[in-house]
Amino acid sequence: MGVLLALVLAWLVVYPLLLVLVEGVRGGDGWTLEYVRAFLGRATEWRALWASIWISLATVALSALIGVPLAFLLARYDLPGARILGTLVALPAVLPPLVGVLAFLFLYGETGFVSLLVQRVLGLTDPPWRLQGAGAILLVHAYSMYVYFYLFTRAGLATLDASLVEAAASLGAGPRRMLWRVTLPLLRPALTGAALLTFMTSLASFSAPYIFGGGFRVMTTQIVATRLNGETELAMVETVSLTLVALLALALLRGSRADDSLAGGRKGAAPAAVPIRRPWLRVGLAAAGWGLAVVLLLPHLTLVLVSFVPLGTWTIEPIPPAYTLQNYVTLVRDPVRARPLLNSLWLATVATGAAVTVAVAAGILSVRRRVPAGRAIELLLALPWAVPGTVFAIALATAFSVHAPWAGRVILVGTLWILPLAYLVRDLPLTSRPILAGFRALDPALDEAASSLGAGRWRALRRVTLPLLRPALMAGASLAFVTAFGDFVTSIMLYTYDTRPVSLEILGSLRQSDVGVAAAYGVVLMVISAAVFAVGAERGTGG
Amino acid sequence: MSARRWRLAAAAAAAVVSTACGSCAGDGRIPVVIYSPHGRDQLTLLEHAFEAGRPDVDVRWLDMGSQEVLDRLRFERVNPQADVWFGGPTTIFDRGLRDSILAPYRPAWARRVDPRGVGPDDAYFPVYRTPAIIAFNSRLVPRSKAPHDWDDVLAPRWRDKVLIRDPVASGTMRAIWGLMILRGMRTPGDTAPGMRWLRRLDGQTRSYTLNPAILDQRLARGEGLVTLWDLPDILISRAKGMPFDYVFPRSGTVVIDDAIALVRGAPHPDAARAFIDYVGSAEAQLLAARKVYRLPARKGLSPDSVPDWVAEVERDMVVARVDWATLARETTGWMSYWDRHVRGSGATER
Repeated sequence: MGVLLALVLAWLVVYPLLLVLVEGVRGGDGWTLEYVRAFLGRATEWRALWASIWISLATVALSALIGVPLAFLLARYDLPGARILGTLVALPAVLPPLVGVLAFLFLYGETGFVSLLVQRVLGLTDPPWRLQGAGAILLVHAYSMYVYFYLFTRAGLATLDASLVEAAASLGAGPRRMLWRVTLPLLRPALTGAALLTFMTSLASFSAPYIFGGGFRVMTTQIVATRLNGETELAMVETVSLTLVALLALALLRGSRADDSLAGGRKGAAPAAVPIRRPWLRVGLAAAGWGLAVVLLLPHLTLVLVSFVPLGTWTIEPIPPAYTLQNYVTLVRDPVRARPLLNSLWLATVATGAAVTVAVAAGILSVRRRVPAGRAIELLLALPWAVPGTVFAIALATAFSVHAPWAGRVILVGTLWILPLAYLVRDLPLTSRPILAGFRALDPALDEAASSLGAGRWRALRRVTLPLLRPALMAGASLAFVTAFGDFVTSIMLYTYDTRPVSLEILGSLRQSDVGVAAAYGVVLMVISAAVFAVGAERGTGG
Repeated sequence: MSARRWRLAAAAAAAVVSTACGSCAGDGRIPVVIYSPHGRDQLTLLEHAFEAGRPDVDVRWLDMGSQEVLDRLRFERVNPQADVWFGGPTTIFDRGLRDSILAPYRPAWARRVDPRGVGPDDAYFPVYRTPAIIAFNSRLVPRSKAPHDWDDVLAPRWRDKVLIRDPVASGTMRAIWGLMILRGMRTPGDTAPGMRWLRRLDGQTRSYTLNPAILDQRLARGEGLVTLWDLPDILISRAKGMPFDYVFPRSGTVVIDDAIALVRGAPHPDAARAFIDYVGSAEAQLLAARKVYRLPARKGLSPDSVPDWVAEVERDMVVARVDWATLARETTGWMSYWDRHVRGSGATER
């Protein structure tokens, strides 16, 4: 069983990449290292690679600094409105690609609301800043990626055993010692998972560096520039270099997590929320929390505002001079334009279901039964994050554009199924990270108890394991669904007329400068994604 | 979650999937799939006009950049999904030709267009002509103060006021860059004067924008005042209420031939040929000129029938002499050099 799953994953994840690697070192006539040499000889390539690395490291640090304390604050302390806040602060994850970046321009761009406000207040003649360079990229990255740390830490805290905390307290550990010696070590699987996801997402991030980078180049933008310029082979070498960095990070992070079995038993419930007694502290923390929520929601609000602006009316005025419902009417009235929404829904549903199933199977095989192929399975599941989405799209398109069943290749390009398959591959790390971490935190004794009480394998899975894993399942599934639902970089290469997704419809509207309609689509995308997250959080943590 | 809830969730998922797949099937008409960068307005317009004459055909288009069309067609070579590639400079069609993704077809209107834009062995034919222009925010810059030639854009008053569509990704911008390098050449292969000019332009540039939509937004909001772009896009944005105006550079501009071709292995070649024939017909050329500002490639349209703006353009436009063969051969290398050594280097030099 374990070997079978590992083989299927290898066929889906590694095989297409190997095929691309081969194409990278094969010129018109035979093998060549010409492009590798060209890559190694150029200072610009090294600079771009280094920029990718340090931006990603800085993003991880910033995201952890925001996400982890926030999760602690909202999960452990009894703040007024903590439940709503808990959902609100996860919202940056539902800001759709493309229009999300546009919202940042409307807010913090040179003539954005916030910039104009600061300019007026300080009485400046020029805009106070330019949304450009490494700082702007880090701002956007930290904004959108702290959510990984936040969600993973919350999921980890929800499965934390209160009895361990209480035991430590009764043994005389102070709050600080408890944090460093008990809570954080127990959270380590969740934190490593989040760090890995953040690093990989940041490494693969494209829109932010492309739009805000200016002259500052990272490897992803470099690859696209090279590809667009028609130097396909050099682009392949650049891709390989980026993938190698990611693999190295993957190896380092996995290596650092030596003893998973630390998170041994979960006998009691999660620790109860700690009430805050001092009223001023309570008010202060609540105010800070809500203030933060407003800042985090500004891009969403901007998007909603823009979706009500008629075409071409908002130019040099500080706020839109006219409003209309027309953008939404357009979207509903025309069946051809409503279609992408349905497409995205079913594509994301199929991909998420499959990704959750694979992750649970991997959890059972690798964590529970400790099959020999377990390590390979986990590595394969984490691998798709080590590869930029564009590259995976190219790899899948390459692998499944040849009819050679004996080589494991069938023609899927141009069919309905290539896109769900691509989403599935991209979703695998999202579902498997929290679910594997969840499996690790589970006490195998519970399963044994179930079977000793006469429950069959399936019954034990359905009645004991899955309910216990619910926070992890929900965290993974909602992230996977939202990612697939809003996916842009993979879709753009693999969609067909019958599977055109929402993000491509947004791009189409943007290409026409139909910012209002694009924003209206963005709002719909956002509302559905937020609903999925809300359901996930509700079912996952509440009850 | 209880068993009932699980079943409910599964049923909901199944319902979503089945409704989506149920509507995948067509309505019995012959589908013609078109990959095109021309955008919703123009494609919808031509779709409806063509279907009016051919009720048995269902025109389905996918809107994407011309570079993406090339990429997709390459991948789909083994299982072609598209019938027609509609739009993009002939230079990019040439690359498609080398990748053997085009099928020769000589449309009914083949003799009506300039043979210069026709592909080898009838691989593609020009449909529209797309001139490059200098555009500006007309609410903040009066027409008399706007730059009137390429070199005017380098004047100190436009420092930090120029917005540029990312040139590597855009056929129009690549053509403009090519023109700047070609016109600076004193001896063949001497790119230094052109690159020097582009470096000075880089020094004037406020930012390079990812796509035309963001360019439009920033120009309209006055974050920059001047840009180099193509005529149809500026005219369309202006018709939609954007405060834009344009001038033809005095010393001459580059005019891109915008082509159409039949895709090799097209699933519905006959309907595809009919569509290609339609796009170059006098009726469709005039329709596109009137409604979406496309300059017809077809010659000999009656002067009474062409809209006024076409006559104005033909009167004002100065066409630069461009060595297209050199351009097609060298652009990749030039753009690569520019991207690595010129982009972002102008600010330090001034």
